[in-house]
Amino acid sequence: MLTLEGVSKHFGGLTAVREVSLQVRAGDLLGIIGPNGAGKTTLFNVIAGYYRPEAGRVVLEGRNVTGLPPHAISRLGLTRTFQIVKPFGNLSVLENVMIGALSPLPSTRQARAEAERVIAVCGLGLHAHARARALPLALRKRLEVARALATHPRLLLLDEVMAGLNPTELVGMVDLVRRLHADGLTIIVIEHIMAAMMRLAQRIVVLHHGEKIAEGTPQEIASDRRVVDAYLGEDFSLAEA
Amino acid sequence: MRWLAPGRAAAALLFAGAAVVPLLSRDSFFLDSVILILLWGSLSAAWNVAGGYAGQVSLGHAAFFGIGAYAAALASARYEQSPWLGLAVGVLLSIVAGALIGYLSNRLKGPYFALSTIAFAEVLKIVASRWRGFTAGSEGIPVPYRPGFWTLGLDHVAWLYLALTLALVCYGLQVYLEKSRVGYRLAGVREDEDAAEALGIATRRLKVAAVMLSAALTAVGGSLWAQYVGFVDPAHVFSIDLSIRFALNSIIGGMGTALGPFLGSVLITMLETYLRATFSGMKAGFSGIYLIIYGTVLILVVRFAPEGVTGLADRVWRRRGAARAEAA
Amino acid sequence: MDPARRLGPAEIDVFAQLAVSTLLLGGIYALIAVGLTLIFGIMRVVNFAHGEYLMLGMYLAFWAFSLLALDPYVVLPASLVIFFVVGLLTYALVMRGVIHASHNVQIFTTVGLSIALQNVALVLWTGDFRVIRPWHSSVVIRLGGTAFNLSQVVAFAVAVALTIGLLLFMRRTHTGRVMRATAQDRDAATLMGIDTDRVYRLTFAIGIACVGAAGALVAPLYATYPQAGLQFVLIAYVVVVLGGLGDMAGALLGSLIVAAVEVAGSYVFGAAWKEVLYFVLFIGVLVFRPAGLFGQRGAETLGA
Repeated sequence: MLTLEGVSKHFGGLTAVREVSLQVRAGDLLGIIGPNGAGKTTLFNVIAGYYRPEAGRVVLEGRNVTGLPPHAISRLGLTRTFQIVKPFGNLSVLENVMIGALSPLPSTRQARAEAERVIAVCGLGLHAHARARALPLALRKRLEVARALATHPRLLLLDEVMAGLNPTELVGMVDLVRRLHADGLTIIVIEHIMAAMMRLAQRIVVLHHGEKIAEGTPQEIASDRRVVDAYLGEDFSLAEA
Repeated sequence: MRWLAPGRAAAALLFAGAAVVPLLSRDSFFLDSVILILLWGSLSAAWNVAGGYAGQVSLGHAAFFGIGAYAAALASARYEQSPWLGLAVGVLLSIVAGALIGYLSNRLKGPYFALSTIAFAEVLKIVASRWRGFTAGSEGIPVPYRPGFWTLGLDHVAWLYLALTLALVCYGLQVYLEKSRVGYRLAGVREDEDAAEALGIATRRLKVAAVMLSAALTAVGGSLWAQYVGFVDPAHVFSIDLSIRFALNSIIGGMGTALGPFLGSVLITMLETYLRATFSGMKAGFSGIYLIIYGTVLILVVRFAPEGVTGLADRVWRRRGAARAEAA
Repeated sequence: MDPARRLGPAEIDVFAQLAVSTLLLGGIYALIAVGLTLIFGIMRVVNFAHGEYLMLGMYLAFWAFSLLALDPYVVLPASLVIFFVVGLLTYALVMRGVIHASHNVQIFTTVGLSIALQNVALVLWTGDFRVIRPWHSSVVIRLGGTAFNLSQVVAFAVAVALTIGLLLFMRRTHTGRVMRATAQDRDAATLMGIDTDRVYRLTFAIGIACVGAAGALVAPLYATYPQAGLQFVLIAYVVVVLGGLGDMAGALLGSLIVAAVEVAGSYVFGAAWKEVLYFVLFIGVLVFRPAGLFGQRGAETLGA
């Protein structure tokens, strides 16, 4: 469904992503992990069209989408969320999600109905009329997911939707992602916290200093020497969260 | 975007009130005030399309106003054509100018966008003042009065209904921007462009389109204003003061609301009239004191009521609604 | 506005004269712009009322000259102090409340301030053009085929001295470093125990003191009237955007570029069209290099 071929992205002299290739098949739930500054979000920005890579190609369902603007890529069925949440702060939760739903749907009436459905799925029903900026972080993360979901993506990119959540909220979010996947959505998840990913993803790609250093099932990754080394420099361990 | 039902009612009251004014009074001073309220309100609503709904806060809308004003004035004074023809030309030119400004300033945010629009209006002001052979330079152009609808030589009552028509068009357009698909998407662009892009919204194109629409409406207002007042000169029609005035009405009334610009226009025009009456005895004083207060009001409003009068009313309304819900 | 032509005798060497005029004009623009860019760099506020403080500075020099017969250059030190205090007051009364507000709120706050100050001047002193001619404005200095008057030279020298003094202050003193740290990262500065409110207050006061002093320097060269600030502040924006908003060394270079465009433009196209030139330059820079000629891309979205 999505193929990356040798994608590289530099900022000045700094290489944020170096020759990363990977494949996502329909129905996958792929995790991308790596320590801070490993280039995870940069990779998302390249995939979703926010950055143009210096080298390599991004191919979505057989179509080269490298260099297309984000909105065009979104219309092709790939929608992302943002690590630093970007709610439409002055609008209500319902309006936020409606704007997402208006991409596939022509009328505000249909979009409202669809938004209400998605809001219920994401467990935001009680907050539909709250101003987005007034929500606590956990709900704003859910709003990110709901809004993206309303565009009816075939491939969903979730950028650290679990970071900053407390254990209860985390369980809720993991459960939501699982349900979406079970309903047939293809999902790529970026996460900093390895433990959450171990429980969630079918397959994991590890980035370190912008390079892909490992790929495999959670079990394979957990026992991969290089991955452990990459994480040792940090305060994170498999036991966290 | 929120203060819907009571806002609509207030607007209906405002426009209906304006429509019946000629039945009650033929006092030309009074009619003139109403005409100007409607005209400034419409111009501010035009600004609001870009500034309030699309988040493209311009301080150079006088550029479009001036283009409209000059097009109409030149059509009737220089070419002895109908000012309506000039208006059409002005609108087209403004759309082109709006596309240019919108496209060139597309990536600019906040103060950068405001600065670039100021620079645009300044360039046009200088061109209009220096291109003597065509625009008559800084002396300006007196617009001849030729009675008739086609020549826009109208009496006050006809002007009032013309201004009311423009106001209703602008108001209706804003309501459309609140209710429609494109309006919601525009709100997304205003609130967060990156997020809007992620949802499949072509943010750049939408922003440019909003500026073009806003420019076109502003040019219509400029053309009508030139014919109504009967005189255009570059120092006024392209001035920053004018651009600020468009913005100010919307800010005081409530940016991004359909009623806001008109409410702001009513309040500012009333303030102006009141101060004119109070300070008219002073030498050189009136416009100065009026503008000192105007500037101070602007500072206070953005500080303490950044959502304007409609925003304040909305808050009160909701608090009362909540209290009633609790009581029940 | 047009030093090259005002002096005009045919025997002066055109290019040398243009170069000198550029330099003299650039120095004055630098002093106006440096306060603007300082305030933007540290507070992330574009001060649309900056020109009005210049205008008030010009009036101060005008009244000191015509009432007390004080030379503008004698008034200069007092200007610095007075406008420093004016800056403190403005900060406390107006700016402090909007420092963390949205762009729109900040834009319209300073726009409102600009309108109010302009019209305070109009009410107090009418709209008449006021001109002062101290002795040094009629002393012509001729040097190697160029000619300029003493006022221009002094204005230039003082402007450059003040600008460099400010640069040194920012680089060498503890307070200056604290201010730059705050500019780099507001939140980190707060975490490190920097009193950001104090930094902003000081920044605003210094910026206003600079432009107030600039007012005293330009008073012998240009007419004083309530809207006098507008023409300069528009130039100052061009300078600041060229140099990169917030970049003080860039502002120096930007001043020279704008002065060169102005001087050369009025020589080639006539004084009437030179403003068009620098606005076109301005729009060009905003559109193609919004972070300034030398700045990094992406800075235009800072603080958004």
